[in-house]
Order: sequence, then C-alpha cells, then structure tokens
Amino acid sequence: MLKIRGLKKRFKNFPALDGLDMDVEEGALYGFIGPNGAGKTTAIRIITGLLEADEGTVEIGGKDAFLYREQVKEDFGYVPDEFGMYDNLKVWEYMEFFASCYGLSGLVGRNRCRELLEQVKLSDKADFFVDSLSRGMKQRLCLARAMIHDPKLLVLDEPTSGMDPRARMEFKELLKELCAEGKTILVSSHILSELSSMCTDIGIIDAGRIVLSGNMEEILKKVNDSNPLKIRVNGNQELALKLLSEERNVRTVSVNGSEIRAGFHGGKAEEARLLRLLVEAGVPVSGFYRDQGDLESIFMQITSHEKEKVVLTSEE
Amino acid sequence: MRNNPVYKREMAVRARSPRIPVLIMLFNGILAAAALLNMYSSIVQVRISNTIRYESFLQLYAFVATLEFLLLMFIMPALTSASISGERERHTLELMFTTRLRAADIVAGKLMSALSQLLVMAFSSFPVLLLTFVYGSMNLKDLALLMFCFVTVALFCGSLGIFASALMRRSTFSNVVTYGTLLAAVAGTYLFNQFLLNVSQMEVNSMILQAGEVRPAPSSGWAAYLLLLNPAATFAELLESQVSGGGGQFTVRYFLGAASGNFITEHWVFVSAAIQLALSAVLLRGAVWFLEPVRRKRK
Repeated sequence: MLKIRGLKKRFKNFPALDGLDMDVEEGALYGFIGPNGAGKTTAIRIITGLLEADEGTVEIGGKDAFLYREQVKEDFGYVPDEFGMYDNLKVWEYMEFFASCYGLSGLVGRNRCRELLEQVKLSDKADFFVDSLSRGMKQRLCLARAMIHDPKLLVLDEPTSGMDPRARMEFKELLKELCAEGKTILVSSHILSELSSMCTDIGIIDAGRIVLSGNMEEILKKVNDSNPLKIRVNGNQELALKLLSEERNVRTVSVNGSEIRAGFHGGKAEEARLLRLLVEAGVPVSGFYRDQGDLESIFMQITSHEKEKVVLTSEE
Repeated sequence: MRNNPVYKREMAVRARSPRIPVLIMLFNGILAAAALLNMYSSIVQVRISNTIRYESFLQLYAFVATLEFLLLMFIMPALTSASISGERERHTLELMFTTRLRAADIVAGKLMSALSQLLVMAFSSFPVLLLTFVYGSMNLKDLALLMFCFVTVALFCGSLGIFASALMRRSTFSNVVTYGTLLAAVAGTYLFNQFLLNVSQMEVNSMILQAGEVRPAPSSGWAAYLLLLNPAATFAELLESQVSGGGGQFTVRYFLGAASGNFITEHWVFVSAAIQLALSAVLLRGAVWFLEPVRRKRK
C-alpha cells in the first residue's frame, strides 16, 4: 500500500531523512516508532504531500505520490498531531466542510458524515460546537474527518498524545476495528506499550533511516533470542564462566552474585545444547531462562547509539 | 464560487454572528441620520432665504461616498490579513491541503467571502447616496463609477491582506505588514508628494523672474505618478470629477499643477484602477505560490 525508497530531506545542514526505505503492506496496522528528531513527522509530511522531498520516491496504492499528487489524495486520510479544529463550527458542520473539500455535498455528504459520526461514537454530539468536545472526542472527530472520502490508507501522527488512558484505550480499539475492516493504518507514537498491543508491523526510524522493520511477532521473537540468558548456579561458577567464554554463541558474559548473564545468540536448540554442556560438565544449574522482549527494549536497544562490546565482566 | 467550500464555510460562520447586521445597522444609521439632517437644514434654508443650495446634496454624496471608501479601505485588510495565517495557527491549513482543495481555492474563498461581506455594507448604504437623485445632480453612470472604484479598492486591500497572510506564519505579523504597506501606499505616497511639492513651492518662490516671465506652478514631478498606487488618490480623482472640490488635496492636479495634461492624468481613475487591479492579481498569484506546500510539477 505504501512504498518508500531512498527518501532524503535536509533542513539546512541537518539531514532529517537520510535514505528512508519503508514498506507498509495492505491491511497492516504499522507502528512508526522513533526518538524525537528521528524524522517521523518529516516522513509523514512528505507522504501526505505537505513537504517536498529532496530525493527518493513515495508510492501510495501503486501510484507515484509526487507525480500523481492529486489522485493520491483520494487514497489517504491524515490525522496530524495537532487536531486542526474550527472552534466556531458544530461537529456536523465540521464534517460537512471536509466532505465538501472532497467533493461530497448534499445528501451523499450528509449521509457519509452521519455514518462516520456513528462509527466514532459521536453522533449524539453532532450539534455540539467542536470547541466543547473533550480531547479524546476531538481526536475521534479528527479520525472521522480523515475517513470522510473512504481512503485505503490512514496516516496518523502521534494520535494519542495528551489523551487520558480510557480515551487512549477507546482510540486503540477503534483503530483495530478499522484495520479489521481492511484499512491500512500507519501510526506514529511514543507510547510503545500501546503500539505493541495493537500493531501488526513496526518500523523503527533513527537518524532518518529505518533501522528495524517487519512483522511485530517476528521482531519480538528476534529480540527474545537476543536477550541475555540468565543462568543461576549453586557453586562451581568459575567452571561455568570458563565454559561460557569458550562457547562460540556467547558474546558477552557478566556476573551478578550467583547469576550469570550471557549474551547468547541462538535459538531454543542452541540454548538446550548449552544447558546440557553446563550440566554434563558438573555445573549445578538451578536457573536457566531468558527475559521476554518487548517493544520498549527493542526501541532502547536500537536507538541507544552504543556499540556492542564483547566483554567478560563481573558486576560485583 | 457557491461551490467553494472555504467560501461557504466563511459565509456560514459570518452569517451566524450578530456582528455584521449590527455593523450594517450602525453604519447605515449614522449615514441616514447625517443625510436627513442635511436635507432638513436645506429645507430650513429654503424657508429662510428662498434659495435652494443644490451643492449641499453633492456634499452629502461626497460625505457618504468617502465614509464608504474609508470603511472599505480599512476594514477589508482586517477581514483578510489573518484569514490564512489564522488557518495556519489553527493547523487547519494543512488539513485542507490533504484534500482536493488547491491553494487557489483557499485564496479565492477567503477573498470572496471578505469581499461579499464588505460589498453588502457598501450596497446597503446606496439608498442614502440615491437621495442625491432627488435633485437630479447625479446619474447612474456616476454611481456605477463609484461602485467600480469601491470594488477596486476592496480587491486591492483584500489582496494585500491575503498576500501578507499567506506569507506570514503569525496573524499579528500579517496584520502589521498589511496595514504598514497600506499606510505606505496611502499616506506614504501622499506625504512624499507633499514634501516634494513644498520643496518645489520654495524653489518657485525664490525664483527671480525677468519682465514678462510667468512664475511656474509648483509640482511634485515624477513622484506624482506614485499616486497611481494610492487607492485614496484614485477615489479622490473620481470624486473630484463628480463633485467639484470633492477630491481635496489628494488629486493629481494638486500635485502636478500645470504639467498635468497627458493620457495618464486625463484618465487617472481608469489607469490607476487598472494598475491596482493588476497589482491585486500579482499579489493573489503570489499568495497562491507561497501557499502551495509542494511546488514540484504534478499530474
């Protein structure tokens, strides 16, 4: 649905995007993650045609977004981090205004507005002034507005920032519903726990490049595999350390009391082999497990900008 | 224009506010009161002196027309100078650009809604102007010319406001730039000419003339043509042609003296209006250019 290749954008001497490549499959709920200043909003503004790229291509629904800008506008809806509201309009007037911006007027436009207000659970607020809505309601209204022309792709920039937990939960459910209906959603957010529970795919951007992307489950599995192995031994620690340092899959080893942490690269079979090696060598192993990875740990690991060191250290 | 969403929204929001009807009522109330008092004084004068002063109706015409002109010149920038920067501040401009709307639609919608509002005020006061028809001192052509002048000044001031609004990110700056430029066009060109005229007057006064030589009339010279950019000078020239002395010291003849006989000065109203309309077109095109988020060629 969305294909980005070699996207570059510089602001004076600062490279905001440095050859961004990204693929969002049809029907995906894609979490676009990155630290502040990584280039998320710049990328989103280029995708939505609000900013000119220096280099690269963006394709939406197979069409070149730079060449066929007007046609591509029919294919996406945009929810910015700021709501963009007219306080002096009523909810239905606000919706009808944007409907007419897409050429939907009269009965067709009104019916579409009514449908969408029902979908985002704001039909009882149709006669209220936009000004009087809560932040969560405004965000739902903004989402309804972005869907007025029934786009295939929704681009949401930090949509839940500033919302209370209930509003965030409701918004998340709404996005899941839309995704189930077949919409492709690109959502950028800082609230990683929220993204991990709803996204099917993620892309982590850092310094203007995608540093990790793919299916959420696969990425979490990879991270789980790269988390350190925690090995508890009841004595014979020196032998255990010797065996671990000789093991080719072990890259780092550190000791914290009776617990040894081994940076171990390998799957379940390699883990089982290592455990057997330790036990057969006479090391009394009382614990052998890995921490489960989450999106936060991936994010911190990838965006920490520290080079991996192969060390043998003691934390004591 | 009725299909322009921006125009429709602006008109709907303005129609909801009681401000415009109240403004129209106050404005026309003042004009009508002034006109009726003027008529009453004329009638009283007839009773006392048995003479009718027709020029008092012309003065009434000049008074009402000047008030309307000032209204257009100063209210139009207020209506337009925050129109686009306000959208930018509310973050709604970007949303519009992700729809089918183009920068030209936004500019046209904003300009036309402001223009409609002001022209409603100008038209609504026409009955007061028509009082002069009672005595046959004016005709429909005069009224049409006045209307043409009003539309020109409204377009010029409105375009200036929209251009500044498209250029500036903040409405405050946009307001300052609009009124600053308007001040330079109206007061700036006038004061500059007045200064040159005074210098010329001093030079003429200090001349030692030979016998039989005629003292030349003072003139501000080439600078008088800067008044082509001054909507007040256009209006003054029009009023001068309709009501003798109505243009006061804003007319080109005042600044050019005897050297005022050429095509431009003889057709000052139309030439200056054409220049101001052309400038308005350039400003509006500039506003559209500045607004376009992406200027790359598209299909």
